[in-house]
Amino acid sequence: MISVQQEDFNVAELYQQLLLDNKTGAVAMFVGLVREFSDLSPDDCAFELEHYPGMTEHNLQSIVDEAKSRWTLQDVRVVHRVGRLSISDQIVFVGVSSSHRAEAFKACDFIMDYLKSRAAFWKKETQGNSSHWVEANEKDGISLDRWK
Amino acid sequence: MTEITVVFFASLKESLGVGQCQAAGEFPMTIKELKQILAAQLNNGEALQALGIQASIDYEFARDADVIPSRVKEVAFFPPVTGG
Repeated sequence: MISVQQEDFNVAELYQQLLLDNKTGAVAMFVGLVREFSDLSPDDCAFELEHYPGMTEHNLQSIVDEAKSRWTLQDVRVVHRVGRLSISDQIVFVGVSSSHRAEAFKACDFIMDYLKSRAAFWKKETQGNSSHWVEANEKDGISLDRWK
Repeated sequence: MTEITVVFFASLKESLGVGQCQAAGEFPMTIKELKQILAAQLNNGEALQALGIQASIDYEFARDADVIPSRVKEVAFFPPVTGG
């Protein structure tokens, strides 16, 4: 299940959805949050996520399909929020269930790595009256080399 | 002559002042050739030539040398992605 949405998500519900009756041996989950990026009060800061409708979902599906082809997985859930968010809000959820922990850990790590570099999202930070688009982190690109 | 839809996102959209435009030309052509056409057509079009600007052809990431087919649905240009 892949969802690009404005609404918040419930980690406990997503966890339950990942479980396969009596079959699941491991669940690995990652949650990304909006962290403080300014000395200003959180009330004076805003955070916005733009995406490319259609391409973003296509990118995420390709990443999940690639993870499923590399490891034996039971279920994968990816939720990514878009629109205006506040400090401490949840941004992204990646959850993977499998029989054994190694597959779940690796697939979750792989999906997040590729999501950072190969999914059409852009972050914009606002501090008081000034806004700027967040620049891509070189480390994210380098991190992909681990999976080649 | 074929006309295709081109969309822009994030900082590039702000630099160009438009989120979408139509581009006319002889397709197939490469992403690099389309960039040159758009650079001449749009206000502040040189922003398309900035280092790191990425492209997609029908939702697939594309490089400068990749060919846009004549039956393309949509081409996009955007800065490096920063999700997650």
